[in-house]
This record gives sequence, structure tokens and C-alpha cells, in this order.
Amino acid sequence: MKVIIADDHPVVRQGLRQMLAVEQDLQVVGEARNGQEVVDLSRRVPWEVAVLDYNMPGKNGLELIKELRQRYPGRAVLILSMYPEDRYAVRALKAGASGYLTKESAPDELVSAIRKVASGGRYVTPTLGEKLALELEDNRGKPLHETLSDREYQVMWMIASGKTVRQIADELFLSPNTVSTHRTRILRKMNMKSNAELMHYAIAHHLVD
Amino acid sequence: MSETATAERVVDSSESAAAPEASAGTPRAKILVVDDEPKSLYALQELLSSLEQNLMVAQSGEEALKLALKHDFAVILLDVRMPGLDGFETAKLIRGRERSKQTPIIFLTAQADEMNSMFRGYAVGAVDYLMKPVVPEVLKSKVSIFVELHMKSERLRESEDKLRRLAAHLISVREEERAHIAREIHDELGQVLTGIKMEVGWLQKRLKEPALLEKTESMSKLIDSTVQTVRKIATGLRPEMLDDMGLVAAVGWQAKEFQKRTGIRCRAKLPPESKYDLEISTCVFRIFQEILTNVARHARATRVDVELSVTEERFNLEVVDNGVGIADSDLHGRKSLGLLGMQERAMLFGGEVGITGTPGQGTRVSVSIPIGRTTGPIP
Repeated sequence: MKVIIADDHPVVRQGLRQMLAVEQDLQVVGEARNGQEVVDLSRRVPWEVAVLDYNMPGKNGLELIKELRQRYPGRAVLILSMYPEDRYAVRALKAGASGYLTKESAPDELVSAIRKVASGGRYVTPTLGEKLALELEDNRGKPLHETLSDREYQVMWMIASGKTVRQIADELFLSPNTVSTHRTRILRKMNMKSNAELMHYAIAHHLVD
Repeated sequence: MSETATAERVVDSSESAAAPEASAGTPRAKILVVDDEPKSLYALQELLSSLEQNLMVAQSGEEALKLALKHDFAVILLDVRMPGLDGFETAKLIRGRERSKQTPIIFLTAQADEMNSMFRGYAVGAVDYLMKPVVPEVLKSKVSIFVELHMKSERLRESEDKLRRLAAHLISVREEERAHIAREIHDELGQVLTGIKMEVGWLQKRLKEPALLEKTESMSKLIDSTVQTVRKIATGLRPEMLDDMGLVAAVGWQAKEFQKRTGIRCRAKLPPESKYDLEISTCVFRIFQEILTNVARHARATRVDVELSVTEERFNLEVVDNGVGIADSDLHGRKSLGLLGMQERAMLFGGEVGITGTPGQGTRVSVSIPIGRTTGPIP
């Protein structure tokens, strides 16, 4: 498979090249340092997959994706970005990218992503996949935490952040009794039995960091 | 015959007196003398010339009004009895205009016995009354008091203006610096870390010994968490969203972040995304951040509702919380520097920030800023 890579940082390009050189079926056929070079390169050499940094000097990442997709509808564009996927991935995919990976991804992940998009598939990380699935689910019905009142939501968030009843009471200027009452009601509304369950839910739904 | 000559001279002198004002080292205050009698006009001029200020004259109420439109006078000496517009009417009109509504007016009158006219004078804004014939020393000392007052308030205005420009400069310098540092940290540091991570990955593929593999694995994790820290620092300095996706997306993101960080529910109602002037976007965004910081610190709220709307001319941002409500005393207290900072930022772009608190029912902050240039929809 013929791959072009683009990143404005030499260290990253070098790393990518080395990483892909190990793979028998992958061949780096060209490198670019900015959006314009990508466009030029894409005309000059035959390629199947373009691995692009999202934020290069010159053209904005989304514009570049759109342009490549328009000119070469059958080929794949894979975004490798410094930015967290929760903010950028959906936009990149909507613009026509076949996949979105952050630079934290393991090398193996990148290689399998290249293979997958080259054969016409789409690649999203398991984390993003889960998030998209949750959003779909949330769209069907009200997510559980939306059934809480504002005050209950706040108490739930504090429990999920690992705070004790006493700490919560102090911070919110409430009595510990009141906080406990809130907690009982929250667990009942959310159909849960323990703080641990709450924490798990909050993390899965990105309600806490 | 001689009267006409005097009148001409008078007009001449008013024009020549205006000339040195621009070049003189010490600033001069402008004084307007209004009298229909060329002789008394001349006498007054002679009297006041020793003050070495910029004297201007008018021979009718109409003429005085025209001058008051163009100049800021330290004081106006106004004859009460004039054909056409009399002194009272002239004073009323002068004080009725925005530019001259504070200008002190001293009435000159020959009718010593008319208490009634004195009251009328004060009612239309006179600060003093002088009987003709005037006593030179009294006239001079009264006029100099107003001249001094005027100079002082001019200096105050100038220094206020300087402070404001300095604040504006500091805001924009700080913003530039933040953006620069954020970019450097994110791009340079972040990319080098990515490079190192790839090198470690390369190494990992060639290692067989479990102990070494374990080491490279932990190195790789360490690099990941460092990348995350770098990103957090950079975003904290300046969210890259603002540059990449624009104000609307950045406000939406900030609202979500706020909820995630504080547990206070934050709902945002946003207009469709579009690209706006970056400096104004930054201004709105920073004010928004400051509002949220205040909510988190002081409001004890459980909910914040945000609405950003864009009309043809303005950004309107409304942030309403359900907390304790800011007290009026806190709006103007010494501790309200953050609020002052928001006002200053808004003022830089001709906008304003309104804050109203109802004790026990929360605080509403309304920001309105002219939109400036639009640079088209986001691609």
C-alpha cells in the first residue's frame, strides 16, 4: 500500500517513516510539510492512503480533507492529530476523513488503522466509538443523569469526584443530613446501589475528568 | 463708524487668539465672551487678556451657540440683554447640548435691582452673576477659578484616557503572549514528545526481553501523560478551538468544560457556527470565561444558562445563574477588579457589560459587543 505522510515537524515525520518501514505491505511514497505540499504531492505520486497532521501551516485541516476527498474520492485520508478526538474527530469524519487518531495512539494502532482505511473501511478508536454509541443511546431516551435536579446533579458530580458527604456538606453550605438525603434520591433515580456505580457512570459519560 | 472698526478688531483678535493654542507649550483654556455691544465686548477682552488664555468672542446668542458647538469652553461670560436670542435663551440652548451641558456660565447684567432675572439665570444653568459695570479684579478672579477647574478636569480626563489605553495595551499584549506560549508549548514540545513516543515504539518492536519491554511500555505511558499535561497547559493559556473553529464552538466547549470541572449544570444556547473577527471573538470568549470564574467562586449556583446570539450588528451574551446573587456593593467594591476587567475589555470594542444581581435569586450578566468584520462561514 502506498502511503503519503504529512506533518510540519521533522521528528514526527521521521518517527512515522521508521514505524511504517517495518511493515512489509506499507510503503511511504512521499512526505509533505504543509497543506500546499500535500496537494502538490498528491498529484505527483500514486498513493492510496494519506496520513495527515490536523494542524499544519497553511491550509486548515478540514479544508485539506475536503479537497483531497473531492479530487480522489476512492482514496483514504487518515488524520493523525495532537488534538483530543472528542473535539475534532467528528468534524474530521464529517468532512470526509476515513479515520482519526491522536498521536498518543500506539504504533500498532496506527498501522492497523492504515490497513483498514486502505481497504475502504473507516477507523475510529474504541474510546470514540463508545462515545458515539453513548450519544446515540442518549438520543433515544433521556440519559439518567438528566433526570436529576440541578442540586442533585451537583451532589452526584461531587460524589463521583470522590468527595465525602462531609466535604460536600461543607462546600455546599448544607447539613450532612441533607446531602445524605440527596444521595439516596440520586441513587434511586439512577437505579444504582453504590457510589462506585455512580463514579463508573460519570466517567463513562464524561461527566467528570 | 468707530464702532464698526472696533467690532472688526474684536473678531480679528478672536481668530488670532486661536492660533497660538496649538503650538503653545502650556495649554490654554478657551473662554467665550458674549455681548452685543462692541464696546463692552472690547472692554471685557482687554480685562481678560492678562489671564493669557484663549479668548473668543460672539456678538449674539446665535453666534455663541455656533461656537459652543465646536469648542469646549472653560467658562462663558454671557450678556443677559441681547437682541434676538437673549442671554437666558442662549444659556438654555447651550446647556441643552451634550457637549456643553456642563459648561459654567456667568451672566452679565446691568439691571442691578432685578432679583427675578437672577433666579431665572440660575434656573438655566448660571453659576454666577456679575453686575455691570464689572469690577475688574472680581471678574478676573472669578474667571480664573473656572479656568483652573477646567484645566484640572482636562488633566484628569487625559490621565484617565492614558490609563485606559494602557489597560487596552496590556490586555492585547497578554493575549498575544499567551497565544504565542500556547503555540510553542503545544507545537514544539508536543511534537517532540510524539517523535520520542514513536522512537520508543520502534524500540519496542525490536525487543524480546520482558523486563525491557516493560520499561518501554512504562516510558510510553509516561510520554502520553506528559502530552496530556502539555495540552492542558496550552489550552488553559489559549483554547486552540477559538482559532480553529471560532467563537461559537469555543463557547460551547467552555460551557461543557465548566460543567465537567465544577459539577454546576451549564446549558448553552448557541447560534450556528460562523467565522468572526478573531480579536472580537477573543474578547467575548475571555469575558465569558471571567463570568464563569465568578460563578464558580462566588455564586453558589447549581445551574448556569448561557445564551449567545448574533445579530447583524452585535454579539449578545447572556449568562444567568441561580446562585446567591451579587450585591450592589460588590459591583463597585475594591474587590470587583475582575468585573472592571470585563468592562474594560468590552469597551475596547465599543461594547458593554451589564450585571444585575437579585439577592437569593442569582446574577445575570449581559454582554453586548459590536460584531465588527465578519470573515465568512467556516469551511
